[in-house]
Amino acid sequence: MAAPSAGSDMFDEIVMAEDRFHGEGYQEGYAEGSHAGAAEGRRCGALHGAKIGSEIGSYLGFALTWQHLLPKCTDEKDSKKMRALDSLIGMIQKFPYEDPTYEKLQDDLEKIRGKFKQVCSMLNIRSDFRISNERSSLTF
Amino acid sequence: MKEALALQSRVAAHPEARCWFLAWSPGGALLASCGGDRAVRIWGREGSGWVCRAVLSDGHQRTVRRVAWSPCGSYLASASFDATTCIWKRCEDGFECVTTLEGHENEVKSVAWAPSGSLLATCSRDKSVWVWEVDEEEEYECVSVLNSHTQDVKHVVWHPNQELLASASYDDTVKLYHEEEDDWVCCATLEGHESTVWSVAFDGSGERLASCSDDKTVRIWQCYRPGNEEGVACSGTDPTWKCVCNLSGYHTRTIYDVAWCRLTGALATACGDDAIRVFEESTSSSPQQQQQPTFSLTAHVPRAHSQDVNCVAWNPKEPGLLASCSDDGEIAFWKYQQPEGC
Repeated sequence: MAAPSAGSDMFDEIVMAEDRFHGEGYQEGYAEGSHAGAAEGRRCGALHGAKIGSEIGSYLGFALTWQHLLPKCTDEKDSKKMRALDSLIGMIQKFPYEDPTYEKLQDDLEKIRGKFKQVCSMLNIRSDFRISNERSSLTF
Repeated sequence: MKEALALQSRVAAHPEARCWFLAWSPGGALLASCGGDRAVRIWGREGSGWVCRAVLSDGHQRTVRRVAWSPCGSYLASASFDATTCIWKRCEDGFECVTTLEGHENEVKSVAWAPSGSLLATCSRDKSVWVWEVDEEEEYECVSVLNSHTQDVKHVVWHPNQELLASASYDDTVKLYHEEEDDWVCCATLEGHESTVWSVAFDGSGERLASCSDDKTVRIWQCYRPGNEEGVACSGTDPTWKCVCNLSGYHTRTIYDVAWCRLTGALATACGDDAIRVFEESTSSSPQQQQQPTFSLTAHVPRAHSQDVNCVAWNPKEPGLLASCSDDGEIAFWKYQQPEGC
């Protein structure tokens, strides 16, 4: 505590004490809160990012596998399927994993999900990969 | 306003169930209805009344929410809460189910055929709109899954002469879609309604769109192309749809359906207050008024049904013939006469 300077007396110090301690307490609390918030945010972001990553990753694996399995441009039907697969792969490759602040992140994710469902429909596969009701399904 | 809408006949179409939706065949001779009894019924005129010509009951496990005829009149599509859409083909002794479209995660809410007959759209509680392409061998292939809405999609309808699709949703918006570089994209979002948009209808020219909502209003949207004389801003090459009229204060509950007659231009609404109303545009020659059209109520039947009216449908060939259906399971046929001096 600084020595009372000219122009202020000890009564001032006492009268203003509540204000001063309130201010200091706020600063301390704010710093601690920021720290906890950042940690929680990081955890939540990592969890959410990992979820999206595993979802998109499984779509890519699925699409690349089918790209290999499909016969190369034998007829119109297959080439349509191939085009849809190529489009899905292209969308995933363009998806900006490194930039969580990308404003169209959610829009693009929804478009990828839509394209995946379309591909599944064209290939006659249930998009939740449910073989029987008893088995676990692929949901994100 | 008296007797502008006169009852012609009434049939108990889906007894002890709700009757959800009606669709006139393109030729206007047949009416398809669907309901909570999981059946689709086909009605034809006999004398002064209407009789059931066929019952399509083995296609769905749950409520049939919507039916749509193909533009050629040979096929009927039915959308059901069992997550599937059935395609029925007209044959000598009735209808047979030729394809079942699967893919939606849950309740399919609506189905619509594009004017060309080669595209079909469906929408669902899973928030998505699907576009299907039909080939010569009657095979249906999904060409796009659109996840633009953030909530349950209630209704889909095609533009009368373009490949432009409109959808209405629980997220209070109407969205428009067209094909762009081998894929379908959302090209416009119509915002303004304050609650669920239940149905949309284009007028005959396709320059206007009417939407009805849980907010008890009907809104009329006008299409403005880039470079329009009125100076309505457009982004890029896409037209802008601007709300030019808001019909509020007429309805006392949710408006479930709106139908725009291609022959007379009359606009009919189906409302949760059990009433049917008809509106007509006030004729005006000045261009200012065309930019701000006014519609007036020309017919109002307060107790058209004993419960919620779910659908209104104008016959495509006979001017003024209107069919309606309700939660009470009945279909009613009405004759609309434009009041004099309107």
